[in-house]
Amino acid sequence: MKPVIWDYGFLAALAVGIAGITLMSASPVWYLTIIFFCLIAGVWYGTRTWPDRAFYLVCAGEPLILACGSINLWTGLFVIWMVAGLVCNALRILVLHEEIRFFILFCGATVPVAVLARVSNHVVLPLLLLCTVTGIIIAIQAIRNYKFRKQYSGVRP
Amino acid sequence: MRRCAQGLALVLILVFTCAYILDDMALLLAGGTLLCALSGQYLLFDHRFRKVVTSIQVQRTPERSQVRKGTTLRVSTTVSVTVPHPMSVKITEQLPPQVVIQDGNTEADAGPDPAPQTCQFRYRITPVVHGNVQFPGISLSVRNAFFENSIDLFSEAFSGPGLVIQPVGFFEPSSRRSSAESREVEKLKVVSGFGIRALREYYAGDDFRRIDWKLSAKHNKLFVREYSGMVTMPPLLIIDLPWRGAPYPEHDLNRMVSAVTGMAEHSIRSFQYVSILIISGPNILHFTPQEKDLQQGIAVLREWMHPVERTVHQYRIPDRADIRGAVRHLEMVIIEGKNSRVNAFSDSLRKKYISMLAHMQVPAFAGQVARTLASIEIDEIYLFTLGCGDSSHIRQVIRQAKIAQMVIHTRIPDARVHIINPDSIYKGADTLETFT
Repeated sequence: MKPVIWDYGFLAALAVGIAGITLMSASPVWYLTIIFFCLIAGVWYGTRTWPDRAFYLVCAGEPLILACGSINLWTGLFVIWMVAGLVCNALRILVLHEEIRFFILFCGATVPVAVLARVSNHVVLPLLLLCTVTGIIIAIQAIRNYKFRKQYSGVRP
Repeated sequence: MRRCAQGLALVLILVFTCAYILDDMALLLAGGTLLCALSGQYLLFDHRFRKVVTSIQVQRTPERSQVRKGTTLRVSTTVSVTVPHPMSVKITEQLPPQVVIQDGNTEADAGPDPAPQTCQFRYRITPVVHGNVQFPGISLSVRNAFFENSIDLFSEAFSGPGLVIQPVGFFEPSSRRSSAESREVEKLKVVSGFGIRALREYYAGDDFRRIDWKLSAKHNKLFVREYSGMVTMPPLLIIDLPWRGAPYPEHDLNRMVSAVTGMAEHSIRSFQYVSILIISGPNILHFTPQEKDLQQGIAVLREWMHPVERTVHQYRIPDRADIRGAVRHLEMVIIEGKNSRVNAFSDSLRKKYISMLAHMQVPAFAGQVARTLASIEIDEIYLFTLGCGDSSHIRQVIRQAKIAQMVIHTRIPDARVHIINPDSIYKGADTLETFT
């Protein structure tokens, strides 16, 4: 299967998106998004050979996500997708077609979260809902893991 | 969860806490999507981890299914695994606790590859406890950038086969065991001599120089002598390897390797073959009788020449002959009778020695050496040792060689000559030489 390389694609798309958001929002603190974009671009360039690069990229991307999310949740969602693509690309986990499908699935899964944040008046209920869903997933996984290990680990002779 | 994922989880908690305190939807969106990303990565990792585990096939082949305790055997394990793209896998062969590993590899790493990969483990083990032993299986550790997980695969598909380990006594069984109706007699293998001479009647065409005139005159018939052919008898190389559990002079071991290799090469070039007996303390590890191929001989040495695990240890075990010598010495002291107190002490000690002699048994190692020496035609032995640790086994080797009327040369590192006492340990050897 031919691997797909997106070296500068997500960064370029993010740059174009940030420029558009900044122009359209006409915010009095318009320069913040530019500064945060420069931050993530600098981290992206500076941590090319570092281990745990995903952590630095996510940490650098969070201020930009918050800044754009404060302007509009949908612009925040766009930035999230681009940062996620940047991280996946940096870790080379967006190479195979199967991995691209999983990335698109992730983008689709974030839409309900954005809708949830959009329709909610306060944070408490959506936060509880997210934590409950995560807890259910963890519980199901724990049972699956137990059964799986029981089948394959057996008993040490 | 690896360091990167742990850091992201901390960021997630921080973002959610801030979102709760500030009641900010942008923070909720950032935290919620980060939670989605982490959960998705975990589910994806778990899915691939299961795929890796289900793709594994193990085939394990020990050299033998039944061995004696202390015998080293070779085991070969082939593991086939398919590793999806961003994952890396570490496979570790798990060994039963009843064995020690002598050398070889029991770990392998596999990178991402859509096609099944094959990892080979080749190692040698020495059972230290007798009984039935089952190879338990393998351990698998799978990781990607965010998560890692490990599992011990001990189920039926990954374990086995079984190994039967026969016990070995520390002493040789008594040469004569008798009960009410039966008697057991144990004999060593008889080695035929090489200087056999036959006499036969003269046939036309025989060499006149071979006629035995004296015998012919006696019987009034022509007899000729049949001479046996000349044979070359290369030396036996006995290599005493150091114990892994105690410090040893590494530099001297390297020099011993060079010396042994040189001697083996010389023996094969000069005598066409060489016999190699590898021991470590009172443990016989390997015996190669009459190896003709130089490459094979070097391969055997390369395989074995390193510190090994010992299953049997000895500490200052006296020989029967030593005790008998001490008894004779004490009897001489008593006969001389210079001092009554010394006489009383010598008599008491003599009685102790005699009572010891009545119950002393032959160590199994001495019997094994005797049988090994009886199985090959040699008249000269070179014993290479580092001379560290207990030397009871050296004494037993020398004793058995002298019983078999062989010339034995002991070779030790020149740095050890000043440390060991050659009179006490190596006094039975014909020569004590050094290698540099």
